[in-house]
Amino acid sequence: MGNFARIILAVCLLLPGLSQAHNVIGGVYAIGNTIEGEVGFSNGDMAAEGTEVTVTDAAGNELAKVFTDAEGLFAFEASQRIEHHFFANLSSGHVLELTLPADELPETLPGGAVVGTAQVKPVSANFSGDQVALQAMIEKAVAKQVKPLRQELAAYKEKAGLQDIIGGIGYIFGLCGVGIWWRERQKEKQREKDNASVS
Amino acid sequence: MHIVDGALALPVLATGAALTVAGVAIGLKKMDYDHLPQVGVLSAAFFIASYIHLPIGFSSVHLILNGLIGLALGWAAFPALLVALFLQAVFFGFGGFLVLGVNAVNIALPAVMVYYLCRHGISSPSPKVAATWGAIGGAGSIVITTVMVAFSLMLSGEAFLLAAKATFVAHIPVMVVEGFVTAAAVLLIRKVKPEFLGIDEERAYG
Repeated sequence: MGNFARIILAVCLLLPGLSQAHNVIGGVYAIGNTIEGEVGFSNGDMAAEGTEVTVTDAAGNELAKVFTDAEGLFAFEASQRIEHHFFANLSSGHVLELTLPADELPETLPGGAVVGTAQVKPVSANFSGDQVALQAMIEKAVAKQVKPLRQELAAYKEKAGLQDIIGGIGYIFGLCGVGIWWRERQKEKQREKDNASVS
Repeated sequence: MHIVDGALALPVLATGAALTVAGVAIGLKKMDYDHLPQVGVLSAAFFIASYIHLPIGFSSVHLILNGLIGLALGWAAFPALLVALFLQAVFFGFGGFLVLGVNAVNIALPAVMVYYLCRHGISSPSPKVAATWGAIGGAGSIVITTVMVAFSLMLSGEAFLLAAKATFVAHIPVMVVEGFVTAAAVLLIRKVKPEFLGIDEERAYG
C-alpha cells in the first residue's frame, strides 16, 4: 500500500503543466501600432506556448490568428484604428476575451469609424521622421516600465482576501440560520394549530 | 472545474440551469431539516476548499470535496453546492453567473451518484471496506465531474476527447488526494459521529 501510494505521488509530481487555477487573466496594450497582450492564470502560470488567440473587429470579423510565446505573450500589428477584440481558449472551459478600444491606438493609423474620439488632429507639416521615431521609442520605454506594474495590479485584483472568505462563510451560516428560523416558525404554527384543535 | 462565462452555448446553459433547479427542488424536499447545520457546514467547506491551493510539484491543486458532500448529504448536496458556487462567483470570481447552473450540475450530480453508489459500502462493518468505498466515492465523483465538464464543452462545440483528456489529466492529482481525504474522513466520521453519514451505529459495530 505504501509503495503504491508513493508511486501515485511520484506520477502526480511528474505530471507537468497542470493548470488548476480557475481564473484566466490577461491584458492587451498598444505600443505604437503593435498590440501586445498576455494570457495566463491567476496563480501566476502563463498560457501554454502556442495558445491560439483570435483577433476580431467589433463586428466579429476575424482579422488574424496569433499565437502566444513561452511567456504567454502575443503581439498583433494593427493596421486600422478600430476596436480590437481578442479571444483565447485555454481548454477545460477556460476562455478569455479582451478588448482594446480604438482610441488607444495611434492616430496615424487609418481610422475605421471611430466614434466619440473623432477629433483627428492633422499631422503638422514639421512633424519630422526623427520625432516619430522618438515618440515610438518613448512609448516602448514607458510600456516596458509599466508592464510589471500592470501584471502586479492584475494579480492583486484577482486575489481574494480573508474578508472575502469570512464573508462567504458568514453568508452560508446566515442562510442556515434563516432556514432554521423558518423551520421553527412552521413548527410553532403547527403546535398552535394542534393546541387550538385540542382545546 | 469551474467553467467560466462565455465558454458554453446557450442551450447548454439553459439545460444546466433547468437541471439545477430540479436538483435543488428535490434536494430541499428530501432534506431533513434537522440536518440543516450539517448542510451549512459542508457548503462552507466546499466554498473554502476551492480557494486553498495545495502545492503539488509543479502545480497546485485544490480539493473539491463533492464526493464527501454527496456521501453525507445525498440530494441535499444540490442546494449546498449551489449556494457555495454562487458565493464563490461573488467573492472569488470563480466561474460566473450565467454558467452557475451548469457548474452546479457538473459538481452536484456526481455527488448524488456517489451517494447512491457508495452509501452501502461506507456503512460496512469492516473499516477497511468502508475506507475503500470512501476513496472510491471521493475519486469517483471527480472522475464523473471531469467527464461532465468535458461533455458540456463538447455540446458547445469543443472536441469531446480533447476536452475530456485535458480536464481528466489535469485532475488526476485531485482524484488521488480526494480519494485519500474522503477515505480518511469516512473513517474518522464513522468513529466519532456515525449519524453524520447516516450510518446506523449498531450496524457498523454490531
